[in-house]
Amino acid sequence: MASDKTDVVTESFEVKKASKLSVLGFLMALPPMLLVLCFVGLPILIAFTFSLGFTAGPNRVVSIIGQEIHKKDHWWGTFAAYKDVFHDSRFPGDLRTTLLVTLIATTLVLSMALGIGIYQRMIGGRLASIMTTLTLVPLFVPVVIASWSIHTFYAGDGFMRTFLSHFGIDFPTLTSTSSAIVIGTIWTSLPFAILMVTSGLQSVPDALIETAQDAGAGFFRIIRTVLVPLALTPIVIAGTFTAIGIMGSFTIPYFLGPNQPTMLGVEISNFFGSYNRPQQSIVMAFIVFAAASGIALIYIWANVRSAKQSGRI
Amino acid sequence: MARKEKVRVKTSSTAVRMSLVVFMLVMAFFILGPLIWLGVHAFVTNWTYPNLTPDGWTWHWWTKVFADSALEEAIRNSLIISPIVVLLSMIICLPAAYAAGRMNYPGRKTFLIVMFAANSFPKIGLFASIATLYYALNLMGTVVGVIIIQLLGTIIFMTWIPAAAFASVPRNLEEAARDAGASKFRVFRTITLRMAMPGILVAIVMSFLASFDEAQGTYLVGAPTLFTMPTEMYSLVQNYPIQVAAVFSLLLAFPSVLLIGLARKHIVGGQLAEGFQIK
Repeated sequence: MASDKTDVVTESFEVKKASKLSVLGFLMALPPMLLVLCFVGLPILIAFTFSLGFTAGPNRVVSIIGQEIHKKDHWWGTFAAYKDVFHDSRFPGDLRTTLLVTLIATTLVLSMALGIGIYQRMIGGRLASIMTTLTLVPLFVPVVIASWSIHTFYAGDGFMRTFLSHFGIDFPTLTSTSSAIVIGTIWTSLPFAILMVTSGLQSVPDALIETAQDAGAGFFRIIRTVLVPLALTPIVIAGTFTAIGIMGSFTIPYFLGPNQPTMLGVEISNFFGSYNRPQQSIVMAFIVFAAASGIALIYIWANVRSAKQSGRI
Repeated sequence: MARKEKVRVKTSSTAVRMSLVVFMLVMAFFILGPLIWLGVHAFVTNWTYPNLTPDGWTWHWWTKVFADSALEEAIRNSLIISPIVVLLSMIICLPAAYAAGRMNYPGRKTFLIVMFAANSFPKIGLFASIATLYYALNLMGTVVGVIIIQLLGTIIFMTWIPAAAFASVPRNLEEAARDAGASKFRVFRTITLRMAMPGILVAIVMSFLASFDEAQGTYLVGAPTLFTMPTEMYSLVQNYPIQVAAVFSLLLAFPSVLLIGLARKHIVGGQLAEGFQIK
């Protein structure tokens, strides 16, 4: 009886404390929220109206500075800038390059991360930890340095050609080709994917793997039916994060890719700066957003799912 | 993530071991090769294709970099802007991280989702949108504009990693200290903050690197008036010999190498991945 009473007292105290804290918590969470709303949400909203030809208000200055600006001719705006982009002869090649590079590089990054992660989880040992540490190196190398060093490494007078020419092998010059973009994106995306996948695989309980082994499951069966399904959320986060990062990249295709066709990231920057056609640049940005939106939804869904599973939401 | 004995599959087969060693050597070559190749160029006079050794060794390019006023200005800009960005990021995000890790408040779920949604826009498209707004706000080519751009890249690190760190501080430790008569502030300072410190440290390191290495947005918003070290690289590689770019790369990589040394244990130890998983 007495203990029941104290329980009630502490419970009501907890409730009171929580409700008192909640206002403070909300205020504490506000600054980054406002920053994101003002400098991510708002610009994207305004830029979207700009792409449709709304040239007044916040878009007034950019409309005066930019060239080939289309003003709206309906109440909802105009698709003139979108037509410009779709009729541009360079655009189909750029879009294809962007999607292909994203697909190929993401697939390769994810399979390498899975391979190394499974190797460390199932076999382990000193070799595995050295390998994991090694693959983390690109995390600390600025993207500009990474791109430029890869540029020189695979260039016409780079190491690959220099070294292999002494064995009579004429290694192709990869710099300024789409292959170089894929190499560069793998190089820079690998560490994050490996961190996510490895930590996901490590958190699969030993007991489950042992049980599967006792039941006679082989190496590959354990991977397919135990490891991968249980670590699916971090694997999905790693894949989607990688794909979104590649789609929005500029430095790697700028340094490593060919002039034409290149990835849309380079074209967005060129159209905005060098060509001074900001409206067309924004249109391309929204095409990239549209292409990435499906991936982004999966990414957010996976994060929410992982947060729910661990009881944080 | 306690490191205990994991289930192991025995690799007695020498063929398997050999192929693993070969795979590791290929990875080492793939990852380190380009960095070493560029690094060596900082000290060579010239390298004639297809010779295996350079024509000669020199320190000449280092004096050339330090004598160039444009390069010096870029170094100064970077060293001023990045610490400001990290400090602002800490002021804006750490209280929110504490709230997300420890408190329950209205809209907490939305907060978590918005923070991730902000990170799920392809970067260059987002920067172009921001630049459009910057024209109206008169922020193009300004330090404030660049600081805001770089700040956006640090938020994800400065909210998630410390939030996970704050959440993992055991409550009963704090309660015990309170029972022993420590003040609220003292408990926060000596227990909560101290135990969350590794996570905060990783967040600071990651934020500094994110700001210091940010090139795409800084270039779009800052050029042609304001250059930082990474954006200077864009024009550098076109206008100078490869050796100058190599020297500049080594200078640019220096803070990263220094900071990994400080935080390597925690980053490899899982603070980074744990933070991103919002457990």
